[in-house]
Amino acid sequence: MGENILELQNLSAWYSEGKNVLSGFSLQLRPHEVVGLIGLNGAGKTTFLKTLSGLHEGFRCDGIRLNGQPTAFRDKGFKLSRYTVFAEDNSFQYFTFREYLSYAAAAYKMKLPDVAELVRGFHFEDYTDTLLKDLSTGNKKKAFLITAFALQRPLLLLDEPVNGLDFQSTEYLYQLIAGYKEYGTVLFSSHILESITLTSDRVLVLEEGQIRQSFAGGEINAANIREALHDENEF
Amino acid sequence: MKMSFDVTAKKLFGVNYERLIRTLFLEMVVFWGLHIAGFQVEIAPFILYLMAGAFSAGVMWQALSSDDNRANMENMFMLPFEGRTLVFSYVAALGAYTLLTKTAGLLAVVWAVSEWSWAEILGSILCALAAIVIVSCLYPLRLGRVDAYAFYVRPASRRRTVKVHRRYSVRRYLFRYLMAHKNYLVNTAAMWSVACVLPVLLGQMEARFVLPIGFAILSLNTPFCILLSCDPALERAVRFLPGQGSAFCVPYCLFIFGCNLAADMVFLCSWQIQIGGIGPLHALTAAVFALLSATGSVFLEWYCPIRGWKIESDLWHHPRKYVVPAVMLLLAGLVSMI
Repeated sequence: MGENILELQNLSAWYSEGKNVLSGFSLQLRPHEVVGLIGLNGAGKTTFLKTLSGLHEGFRCDGIRLNGQPTAFRDKGFKLSRYTVFAEDNSFQYFTFREYLSYAAAAYKMKLPDVAELVRGFHFEDYTDTLLKDLSTGNKKKAFLITAFALQRPLLLLDEPVNGLDFQSTEYLYQLIAGYKEYGTVLFSSHILESITLTSDRVLVLEEGQIRQSFAGGEINAANIREALHDENEF
Repeated sequence: MKMSFDVTAKKLFGVNYERLIRTLFLEMVVFWGLHIAGFQVEIAPFILYLMAGAFSAGVMWQALSSDDNRANMENMFMLPFEGRTLVFSYVAALGAYTLLTKTAGLLAVVWAVSEWSWAEILGSILCALAAIVIVSCLYPLRLGRVDAYAFYVRPASRRRTVKVHRRYSVRRYLFRYLMAHKNYLVNTAAMWSVACVLPVLLGQMEARFVLPIGFAILSLNTPFCILLSCDPALERAVRFLPGQGSAFCVPYCLFIFGCNLAADMVFLCSWQIQIGGIGPLHALTAAVFALLSATGSVFLEWYCPIRGWKIESDLWHHPRKYVVPAVMLLLAGLVSMI
């Protein structure tokens, strides 16, 4: 097993001083693994992904290492290594999907990737030349997911990727997440138990800004996770 | 009625109306500050009433047309509110917002720098109120109907056909944005009209002295200069994607530069036709002013975007918007002295 792709030591994040949303959060992500993040509403999942994406101002972290090298969430090198799909995204509304893809590829200094298979898999053929603002919530989500899987960054962050997708696209997304290990590591948050159990190599249960439990391999099943979340609810 | 009024009013004024108190306090400060400074201009009562009425009507129309009200309205329609009560409370909340936070600000400045009588104060408040009521009555008529649903701002129709492009162009993106926001276009057209008439107003003075002032005034094409503030999702995207300093900010700056330069060129052409004497140096000065104001606008958008706004109208009248034109006016003053 090589070095970790990402190591975080003692990450705390807050919206107002003294009220930590993440408190003393440490995490190692290994190369080529799928990590599911689960927790009740307000547990800090979205804040964590926003912090990793360099969008959250209020945080402190004792150590951030990317492939063993110290880095920062807003370093260009770190930015080039990751792509995030947000739970809701209304950005670049006056680009079509094709234009957005070429824009994102240029931002990551890549040639325009071939997305024909991804477009087919998500049944997105009819929408590639429609302005993003004119797409439905589900199709907008597909546009950003296709971009994410086409860019093949070493670290892919997905916030509630299943939300808004139809049944067929959800099934296809599960395949893509499970198969992404070929290119890199996926860290995704979800409230859908099935999405976690079908795709993850490791599951982290987030509670009050800390990882309270983690499951790996054969431990990942609906009963265990349900029990962990039930305990959390009672707590 | 109070409950449905509170739904809109608390969104605009804050849960405990703290934003309203803060705004009224600021208006008082502006009034006393300007009053003590002793600037005095003469404003005819007719102009005062016209200004209060037209300004209030414009702001009220903007407030009623704001997309940000859609979610609130959808929720209110889902609840079993009575239509008439809903309309009155909604319009009353937006009217109070227009009158107390926007018109009052304008009147505070105007009253601070002019002689006034109690009759004029009453007259201008009545004109503002009348304008708000008239706009509220006319607004639903644009749909040819007069029920509560006429105040609901519908999302634009979907799947407009656009020319197919395989590659992105930020310039094209910005152009589509401009075309989709008619108020931005109106603002740009208004600036061009100002550019046409400026020589009439400034033409009596020496070109060397007043041309830079004209360029500074024409850098006030503001809606496009607050693009990232207006669109938080776009701001998030350009902050999260790598290399956006050059990929987004440079084309954005060049686009504003183009808009400003176009207005400056209209101004110079109008000056040449009416007065004459325009040379390459003037065109160069115009280009420098357009570039500086575009750079300043993008710099401010990148480092201190306007946050915490409730409806678009807050953005349109935010003081930060006028920072760049104010700096350009100061610069114009300096250039004129050289």
